Parts: sequence; structure tokens; C-alpha cells
Amino acid sequence: MATSAMDVTRQQKWRLSTFLDANFKYWSLLPILIFLTVLTLYPVAQLLRMSVSDLGFAKGKLEWTYVGLDHLETLRADPVVPDALKNTLLFVVVVVSVEAILGLLLAILVSRARRFAWFYRSVYMLPLLIPPIAIGTVWRLMYDYNYGIINQILHEIGLAGPLWTANPDLALVSVMIVDIWHWTSFLFLIMLAGVESLPYELAEAGRVDGANEVQIYRHIFFPLLRPTIIVALMLRTILAFKVFDEIFLLTGGGPGTATEVISLYIYKVYFVQSRMGYGALLALLTAALISVFVVFYQWLNNYVNRQR
Amino acid sequence: MSDLNPKLTRRHFLKGAAAATGVLVASAPGVSFAQKASTINFLRQRAQVEPITILINDSPWFPGFEVLVNNYVDATGNDVNLNVTPFAGMLEKSRNAVLGDESEFDILNLNEQWYMPFYAGGLVKPITEIKPDFELDPNIIEYDSATRWDPNVRYSTPDGAIYGLPINGNIQLYFYRRDLFEEEGVAVPNTWDEVETVAQMFHNPPEMHGWTIRSKPPNFPYQAFLESYGTSVIRLDLETGAWSVGLAGPEAIEATNMFLHLGRTYGPANYADMGQAENMALMASGRLAQAHMVCAVAPNFDNEDQSVVVGKMGAGVVPGGPVSRATMSGIWVMGIPHNLPEARQVAALTFLEWALSKDAQLDYTLAGGIPVRQDVYEELASDEKIGWWMKAMADSTPYIKAQPRLAETPQIIEVIDRRIGQAIVDELSIEEALQEASKEIQAILEAGEYNVTPLE
Repeated sequence: MATSAMDVTRQQKWRLSTFLDANFKYWSLLPILIFLTVLTLYPVAQLLRMSVSDLGFAKGKLEWTYVGLDHLETLRADPVVPDALKNTLLFVVVVVSVEAILGLLLAILVSRARRFAWFYRSVYMLPLLIPPIAIGTVWRLMYDYNYGIINQILHEIGLAGPLWTANPDLALVSVMIVDIWHWTSFLFLIMLAGVESLPYELAEAGRVDGANEVQIYRHIFFPLLRPTIIVALMLRTILAFKVFDEIFLLTGGGPGTATEVISLYIYKVYFVQSRMGYGALLALLTAALISVFVVFYQWLNNYVNRQR
Repeated sequence: MSDLNPKLTRRHFLKGAAAATGVLVASAPGVSFAQKASTINFLRQRAQVEPITILINDSPWFPGFEVLVNNYVDATGNDVNLNVTPFAGMLEKSRNAVLGDESEFDILNLNEQWYMPFYAGGLVKPITEIKPDFELDPNIIEYDSATRWDPNVRYSTPDGAIYGLPINGNIQLYFYRRDLFEEEGVAVPNTWDEVETVAQMFHNPPEMHGWTIRSKPPNFPYQAFLESYGTSVIRLDLETGAWSVGLAGPEAIEATNMFLHLGRTYGPANYADMGQAENMALMASGRLAQAHMVCAVAPNFDNEDQSVVVGKMGAGVVPGGPVSRATMSGIWVMGIPHNLPEARQVAALTFLEWALSKDAQLDYTLAGGIPVRQDVYEELASDEKIGWWMKAMADSTPYIKAQPRLAETPQIIEVIDRRIGQAIVDELSIEEALQEASKEIQAILEAGEYNVTPLE
């Protein structure tokens, strides 16, 4: 018996819908794949292409010239990169550590506050809400040796104000102080969410068993908070690696190379000197360094979870 | 059909109204022929020139530029839009504009330290390609050929074609407290040694400082010291076409010594962290006797809201070293993007030619701008309010020197700022800083395939 045309179409439709249904889990990933390709993979691919090219203007156009690994040779001979990397690593380690400790302490204190908890939360959040450009400008004025309020106060109490941003031994510390003031609230908020979600009945059980407050924090709360702390540290490390605005506004990388960091140097190479190929290589290098930290934190997180 | 019954558009209506007004004015009794011709010409101009958009930086001299533009609009009827952008965004916006199919801007304001890639890459149009018979008025200062580019030597030379027209004549001046100098009977110094003598006389920190340097970043004033000792960061031998780095010799060491010595000895304790704003604040608050700063700061000293030294300031040519005096050029030039239709290029040039005329520049100056015409400086030298620094500007013209003007200039400037910065804070000795800077700049020139004389 011959199959009618309508039956064939129905059969084809059936096959197509069966196929779609059977592979739906893959199709459902399509939007995010397209999204990732357009917004992430394409720019990264362009960055990779740029890092092996020289980009120059000729005859009114941007011209790409393939240079292979030439930029690696430039990197090897670049006297700024070692200083910038050293300063960046020091900056990241110090500010992330201090901000994490302060953020956790504040979170614990605010979570235990019986009065004005809403007020403390709002106040501690404030620095995070202020635009970095305003933070840089305000601190620049406060740090000013001749007219800044900090040195004026020190002068009033009979102390000689230090050269906050002019002394190469102090300049990076001055920048770190601003960063800690700015970003502690970020870690405070994440830690507070973690602290407030702790199961307090476990603490009660511990108290019934005779544990004191230190023991409760050490053996109950901190182990439970570890995943939150690790995620917070990872996020903050990624952001600290990319520090730019505070240093750009406060010191511009100086005096000398005292506060030169890798993001600021990439900005100078890419945007000021128009060395886009070399700038792209430096950006890839920075991304690779950040990835090392991210992998470490993920390993730590998995390790902690396994321990639990 | 459409020819017989045309649709009345807004454009037709405006053209008709303009023509009718012209006829009315021209036929009005008591109106001179010249006035009639001028009015008709104005109306014709209004119908012919395209509106333009200018990319301009937000700066202390912007109010003057705004007045210049408003005067142009009033005088010609041509429309001008301003895209006012902070300094930090200017280069990116300019670069993006010239790389598209058609630039959104008709005029780009290009800074002295980064106009070169725009000239070298043909990203702005040579003026004579827009108007073949264009000639630069000899009263317009060229700032050591900042207007020109010679592709044969890849440098701004007097023989190059004109690619940009200056709009802001920012150079360095020597500023001093005229009231204190007169009180003590001190003559205005002509040399760095005389500057030191004066500094010794007035230095009484923290109430009064004898001198200050701009150390953040240092390259701009530092180059004037180099020139005054007979050297420069790089120099081109026009006869041989060979480049050489001028930081390795004894002249550079002496110049750097003097630059640092004056700053350290007679400056505030934070001499290593003094930018232009800090120096200006020190002078405006009456705590500085003399300084070497850009001329753009002068109007601030006359502003009673910002300064306690109103009417007490004097200005002169930047003092010199054993070889000469020098004031470094740090100007802005306006270029017309290559990727514009001809009508927009013509409209842009029409504006620039008008803006550089003497009358326009006089109003621009009185509104806070920094003119680029010698005759304007000379005329305003006797002005009661701004004559004190206009005269110094007029006198400084013969001493104007260019900063390095290569496509690689931003790289070279970064080296100077970093290495001299290291010397300022004793991270390196002066000799070490200059040797390292020389090697790095030599490498930059070699990588750029310039004909470079080997370092000694």
C-alpha cells in the first residue's frame, strides 16, 4: 500500500520532534553557548590573536601584522613588569587577608548586635556604594602633605604627618589603606550572609555540652563558614588583582615604581602607548595569574568539602 | 508632477525665509552696501556649510573655547555641536572616530603627546588636500612644527605638510611673586643659578618655599632643563637623518642634577609627589615664591575664589642653563578626520580658519582661552588684567621647543617619567637612571626601525 504524502510529512514531523525531545538537554544549552561565544570566547580569541600581532595605523586603517612570539621577547626585556607583578602580588595578599579578617569580625559583631544592627549594616556598606573616582579624589585630598586633613589633625596633636604618597616606602601602604577602607564592606556583606545562615541550634547543643564561646566558633562556626570564606576570598582576589582606579588617582604608579601594578601598566601600554599587541599579551598573563589563584581556591574548597 | 507641485519641507521654508530676509535687508533704506553684502553673504553661508561636531576636552580653557564657538555660530550661522570629554577619554574617542567608516566628529582635538600616530597613519587629512591654496597666517605660531608631518623622516619638521592647526598654545612660563620681588628689589632670574639665589632668599618652609618642581609626572618641565643644558631626550640630524638619544652625556647629568637639586632643596617635603595641581595650589595659597609651570594655570592666580595672590603675580620666560633658554610646547592641535565626506571636511576647515583669525582669538583669550597667534599676545601684553602673563607668552615664542614627536613618543615619555621618577626618590642614582633610560629609548627607536646612532 502506497504511503500518502500527508503520512510522510507526519512521519517526518514525528522524527524531528522525537529527535528534538531526545536531545533536548543539548538544545537547551544552545542559548548559553551562543551567549558565551559572543560575549566571552570571541573577545578572548581576539585577545589571543592580538597578542601575536602588532597593530598599527596606516593609510587611515588599523593594520594587523602577525609577529608570532615577539611580544614574549618584549616581556622578557621589560623592566616594568617584574616591579608591577611584585607590587600586585603584595597588594593582593595584604589587602585580601586584612579585608577578610576585618570583614569576618564585623560580620560576627553585627550579627550579635541586639540594637541598631540595621544601622551598622548600612554604615559598613557605605564605602562600597561610593564611586571609585570619588574615593580616589577624596583620599588624594586627605593624604595631601601640605593641605590634607590627616596631616592637619596629626599636626594639631603634635605629630609630624608622614609623606603618605610621596615616600616610596609608604606609598603602597597608603594605597592599601584606601583599598581596605573601600572593599572590607564587600567581604563583610558576604560573611554576614554566611554568619546569619549558621544553624545556631548547633551552638546551643555545644553550650549544653560545656563548650565555651571560643570553642563554639573554632569547632562549629568556622568549619561551617569555610565555604563562604573561600568563595569570598576568591571573588575578592580576582577583584584585587585588577586594582586600577585607586592607584591611578592616588599615585599614578609612583613615586618611582613604588605603586606600579599590572593593571595600571596594561592601561599605559595599551591605551597611552597604543601598543595593543603587547598590551594583549600582558592582559593574558594577568588572566593566567588570576586563574592560578582561582584554581587554588577551588582546590581548597573541594578539599574542605571532602574533609567535612 | 512633483516638479509642478513640490512638497514644502522645513528646509524649503527656511531657505525661502532666509532669501526673503536678505532681499528685505538689501532693499532697506539707510543700510550701507557693505552691510547689505555682508548680510547676504552671511545668509548664503548659512545655507551652504554643514553643521559640525567637535571633540573637545573638558579643561580650564574650555570656557574660552565655548565662547569662541558661540561667537562663530553667531557670526556665521553655522551650527556647531561640542562633544565635551574628560582628558582621559580623548585619545580613545579620537582613535575610534578615525577607524570607523565615517567619523562622528568633524574636528578632533589632539594633544601634543599623541597627535603623531594620527599624522603618521594618515588618520587626519592634510589641510592642503581639503583646500589646495591653504596658507598658514605667519602670525599663527607653529610650536616647533607641531602642525606638520614629514613622512620621509617620520617626524614633525618645518618642511612637512600641515596636518593640524593649533588651538591651545600651552607652553611653560616662569611664575613669580612680583610683590615679594619688588619688596626685596630682586630682579627676575634669567638662569637656573639665579633661580637658586632667589630661592635661597625666600625659602622659609613650611610658610614659604623657594621653588618647586612638577615631579608627578616629571617629563614636561624636566625636558626644559635638558634643552637649557644643550641636549634633549632624542634629536634628529636633518642632514643625515640619524637619530640619537641625548640622555647619556654630561649635559644630561648636569641638567638632571640641577632639576633635582632645586626641587629637593627649595621644594616642599613631598617634592616627589607634586603634580601640576599641587604646585598651583602652593602658589595660589601664597606659599611659593617662584615656579616653572604651564601657562594654563595663570588665570587661576587671578581668580579671587581660588587665589590669595591676585594682583601679586608676575611671569616671564623660563630661565635657562649654560646653553639656552627653553619652554616646552604642550599644545593641542585640531585635525580633520580622513574619513569624512568632502562637505564636512570643508565645513570643519571653515570653522578652523575662522577660529584662528585675529579677532576670534582676541575674544577667545579674554574669555579664558590660550591663543596661538603672536599678534594677539603682543596686543594683549598691555592689557590691564592679563597683560602680566601675555607679555611673557609673547617673549617666550622664540624659545619654544618640541617634545619628542614620533609615533613612539608615549613610550619614550613613559621611560622618562619612570626613570627620572626613580632618581627623584633615590631608587636609582642620576647616572643609573639616565643610562637605563638611554638604553630603553635606544631600544624603542631601534624597534621602530629608525636610523639610530649607537649609544656611546
